[in-house]
Amino acid sequence: MFMGYFPSVQDKNWGGQRGAGVPLPKDSGQKLSSPSCLPDPILNSLRLPQAWLDTQDRHLGHYVNGKWLKPEHRNSVPCQDPITGERLAICLQAQAEDVVAAVEAAGTAFENWSGLPGASRAQHLLRLAKMIQKHQRLLWTLESLVTGRAVREVRDGDVPLAQQLLQYHAVQAYTQEEVLAGWEPMGVIGLILSPTFSFLEMMWRICPALAVGCTVVVLVPPASPTPLLLAQLAGELGSFPGILNVISGPASLGPVLASQPGVQKVTFCGAIEEGRALRRTLAGKGAELGLALGAESLLMLTEAADVDSAVEGVVDAAWSDRSAGGLRLLIQESVWDETMRRLQERMARLRGGRGLDGAVDMGARGAAAHDLAQRYVREARSQGAQVFQAGAVPSDSPFFPPTLVSDLPPASPCTQAEVPWPVVVASPFRTAKEALAVANGTPRGASASVWSERLGQALELGYGLRVGTVWINAHGLRNAEVPTGGCKESGSSWSGGPDGLYEYLRPSGTPARLSYFSENLNYGTFGLAVPSTLPAGPEIGPSPATPYGLLIGGHFQAPGARSSRPIQDAQGNLHGYVAEGGAKDIRGAVEAAHQAAPGWVGQSPGARATLLWALATALERREAALTSRLERHGTELKDAKVEVELSARQLRAWGARAQAQGHVLQVAGLKGPVLRLREPLGVLAIVCPDEWPLLAFVSLLAAALAHGNTVVLVPSGACPIPALELCQDMAALLPAGLVNVVTGDRDHLTRCLALHQDVQALWYFGSAQGSQFVEWASAGNLKPVWVNRGCPWAWDQEAKGAGRELGLRAARTKALWLPMGD
Amino acid sequence: MSARNRGTELDQVGGATEEGVDLPSSLHPTGMHTSGFGCFPMEPEALNLSWISKMQVNQPAVLRRAQQIQARRTVKKEWQAAWLLKAVTFIDLTTLSGDDTSSNIQRLCYKAKYPIREDLLKTLNMHDKGLTTAAVCVYPARVCDAVRALKAAGCTIPVASVATGFPAGQTHLKTRLEEIRLAVEDGATEIDVVINRTLVLTGQWEALYDEIRQFRKACGEAHLKTILATGELGSLTNVYKASMIAMMAGSDFIKTSTGKETVNATFPVAIVMLRAIRDFFWKTGNKVGFKPAGGIRSAKDSLAWLSLVKEELGDEWLTPDLFRIGASTLLSDIERQVCNNPLSWDKLTSVFLRKKRKIPYWAMRTREKTSSDLPHCTQTSAFIQANPHLKWADWTRERECA
Repeated sequence: MFMGYFPSVQDKNWGGQRGAGVPLPKDSGQKLSSPSCLPDPILNSLRLPQAWLDTQDRHLGHYVNGKWLKPEHRNSVPCQDPITGERLAICLQAQAEDVVAAVEAAGTAFENWSGLPGASRAQHLLRLAKMIQKHQRLLWTLESLVTGRAVREVRDGDVPLAQQLLQYHAVQAYTQEEVLAGWEPMGVIGLILSPTFSFLEMMWRICPALAVGCTVVVLVPPASPTPLLLAQLAGELGSFPGILNVISGPASLGPVLASQPGVQKVTFCGAIEEGRALRRTLAGKGAELGLALGAESLLMLTEAADVDSAVEGVVDAAWSDRSAGGLRLLIQESVWDETMRRLQERMARLRGGRGLDGAVDMGARGAAAHDLAQRYVREARSQGAQVFQAGAVPSDSPFFPPTLVSDLPPASPCTQAEVPWPVVVASPFRTAKEALAVANGTPRGASASVWSERLGQALELGYGLRVGTVWINAHGLRNAEVPTGGCKESGSSWSGGPDGLYEYLRPSGTPARLSYFSENLNYGTFGLAVPSTLPAGPEIGPSPATPYGLLIGGHFQAPGARSSRPIQDAQGNLHGYVAEGGAKDIRGAVEAAHQAAPGWVGQSPGARATLLWALATALERREAALTSRLERHGTELKDAKVEVELSARQLRAWGARAQAQGHVLQVAGLKGPVLRLREPLGVLAIVCPDEWPLLAFVSLLAAALAHGNTVVLVPSGACPIPALELCQDMAALLPAGLVNVVTGDRDHLTRCLALHQDVQALWYFGSAQGSQFVEWASAGNLKPVWVNRGCPWAWDQEAKGAGRELGLRAARTKALWLPMGD
Repeated sequence: MSARNRGTELDQVGGATEEGVDLPSSLHPTGMHTSGFGCFPMEPEALNLSWISKMQVNQPAVLRRAQQIQARRTVKKEWQAAWLLKAVTFIDLTTLSGDDTSSNIQRLCYKAKYPIREDLLKTLNMHDKGLTTAAVCVYPARVCDAVRALKAAGCTIPVASVATGFPAGQTHLKTRLEEIRLAVEDGATEIDVVINRTLVLTGQWEALYDEIRQFRKACGEAHLKTILATGELGSLTNVYKASMIAMMAGSDFIKTSTGKETVNATFPVAIVMLRAIRDFFWKTGNKVGFKPAGGIRSAKDSLAWLSLVKEELGDEWLTPDLFRIGASTLLSDIERQVCNNPLSWDKLTSVFLRKKRKIPYWAMRTREKTSSDLPHCTQTSAFIQANPHLKWADWTRERECA
């Protein structure tokens, strides 16, 4: 049975004696639940948050610019205790003008804050950490009261971690001038939280933003007072009131916040579908968008595991009020029965109840979470799944028991859908290879754990999983120094560690992001039709003729459309014809790139460097031909020479840089290392800019290859011929399918690439409209995109062509936790 | 199935926080303290090395669990007092020093009979409930003194004796066996034997099994507690394997340490041993007891041990038949704690006598009742709840039928 749910006592004798001795906060007691029915410890914990709510007259507004903002004529929502349903306070809902006020305040504060030396910012963050330490009891009781989560997790997990985050980022701020030279803070950051994410998720994101010198406007869902309390604590430090502003309002305000002029980046934490919608809405708007979506996790239990410990891992992952989402559990067939028995036995010992009770494992999370879980379980059962719930909880109770779903038919929608809290969906696998295929087959990729006592197997699985965080023989460990994020549909926003800092930095000298939104861009028809091409006059040029065809899968082939495209030189004469690629060729190219990917990932960085250096040599050998091609396109001879020379240098530089990639972190409280790995994005599509036709092509290609990606490239539209010249060497030198080059109508090819579900990342350098389309279309598989928003780049500058930004974008991080001990 | 598997007879201790604690059997007015175990000693199982061959314990994960479990179940106020009294009934009051004489053994036995000051118990209204410790534990040469002292005091508290070359176990098997026989002859009804660590560290599991089998035989009617000396076993995996072997060979209890090693009873070790006990119960249906010993000095520690056993094994293990704490100074700290928290007796009795509430907390109706669905519970879960004694194999068969 689901033990417990007994903390409150209905026993009149006992309760009566209790309640009599306890003074209640004035004028609030009667509105609240009858106090006599709560046991002593809970009642004591209740008083503190209620006293704080009383200071606001149980009427919460927004905290902007160091002051409470309580505008009139706003809708309000009640903030309810998720278990008793009693009204704790009333929260005002923000409107657009409140958002404007908050962004203005943050903008003003940014002037001062970003100008401070890092040491002063560090000082301020440390003061905030102290402030949290002083008021931690208020913080944890309020959080537990409002969200219903077990106070133990908030007290022993979240609050210390929040302090640790501030301390870690204070150190980062202190060393910023030294370590992060060449980068500057972005500006005002918007952070949008959805109800399932706790105040800790907010801390994960505001700490790095504040540390590097950004200021933040947080939009929290209505009825979440903890972020407001944090903002008040920060505001009461006095010195920099506007650096952290919290407004509470409905999710519909998200786009309003994001499209405020001055907001440079928006980070969204929430459900996958909401993130997708926001991605579409914000296409072409000024702010960059970082997404951290979904909360599902994965646990892989092999036959070589310590099953009892793995069962505790399942409890940590799904039934301990630590995580926001459910768990997908993969169990090796040979230990299936044993594991299921242990799980069920363990579930019976879980204790649910009012979150403020210190001995409770699971609280309640409010009606929305309850209904979500209820719907999922009902759906799963109707599809023939076995559902095990420890204990019987009446359907009208606010609690949801820990739930274990098994035997879910593979084709049912529940198998694909995200698993909600507190559900665990178990499915068997036969071999480690199969487990890896199943795990990587889900669209989400946030975190996973591998349980195996065999080191080789555990590492194989840990490296093979396409997720942001992997724990070996542990689950749910977090630390401020370790970057946390995801891939695939879990979004690619990172927090913590160096990656968290770069989220809010941009290379110095980058212009502020402005909206380039174009009303008349029709997403449905952009690049849909290919303009027809006709013979365009006499072909005059040096012999041999320019290469014709598309480089796909290691050799040149004719385009599917069997037509060609004239290329004009600077004088407007016909220079030559290139192949007119289309959707079919893109399909082929992506497929070829996928086939080449495992081989290239398996190469050591040294081997990659060797190939890039060989390519550089080949490029130099062609110097004369390339220079003349460039010259013909209107480049000065001197510049053309420089471009070819720089291109060779880029190839060598990225080859050399491929050697030094991830590094090892040593984390407090954990014996054993955490590896910060840099893994390739996968199949990367690059649409190259028109300017610097050779250098840009080579820079982008070199960075992508050095980090282990396989690429599909669309070369410069005006001058693709130098790039195609180089393709002849690539066809000879590189493994088949590693680099695929498709020429043709850029808008059309961009459309095909942006909508392609198997393209795992896309870089677009072209028109503003194209950028907007790419951002919009990337919402499909939520591939990370990088667009130039129609602005030409100076590729010959070190910061652009070989800059660290390119290196950051070309790979994704994975944190691999390896606890040790015997 | 052996006589020890008596799930239905065993008293249930209630929840850890605010739930009423039912009266422990040894405190029950009608169930005065009977001598230690109410059942026959354990029958040995055949040696089955496949039960231990694949086992691997992950130490960091167990450490994490051990860290969590200490903070997870806290008891306060009158519940704490009740739990402390309950803890008293699990104590094997121990003296194992070179300077033991008949006079301090006599004092020890008196303390075992009257563990808490009479006036304190009177305030708690517990003075007539026959509260004693579970046993006294002495060196073999002092068994006679202890038996005599307890007889003089007119009580039936069992006498436990350490044996087999305690604490190192590095003597000849013949003398070790003889030691057991002599202690039993002197009137010890429980024998705490130490295992030969050499056999564990060199992986001679069959030899270890044979030795403990011989100990078992030498004990006769007396109960066998096997001390694993976990501080000297090298790894948690070895602790699990040694626990399994000791249980297969017929131990009634497995005990963490002698109290003479540098590392004594720790939570990670306990978690591994408790899991082994549960696995053994699932495999054979036999309940084996658990005895942490060494280093348990404070009342707070003892509560943590109780909650650990309750969490890992369940309420049925919280009885002197299946759980003991080996300690010498713990009792005085418990007494001090009970003394420091003077509670009115009506409160304490209300804790002891309060019945399980009829309306559980979760049944509070706060959301509109929209549908008429019953609490969900699949057939299998209902079945397993109704038949907790069934073994896993039966359960899976039933699942197939259903």
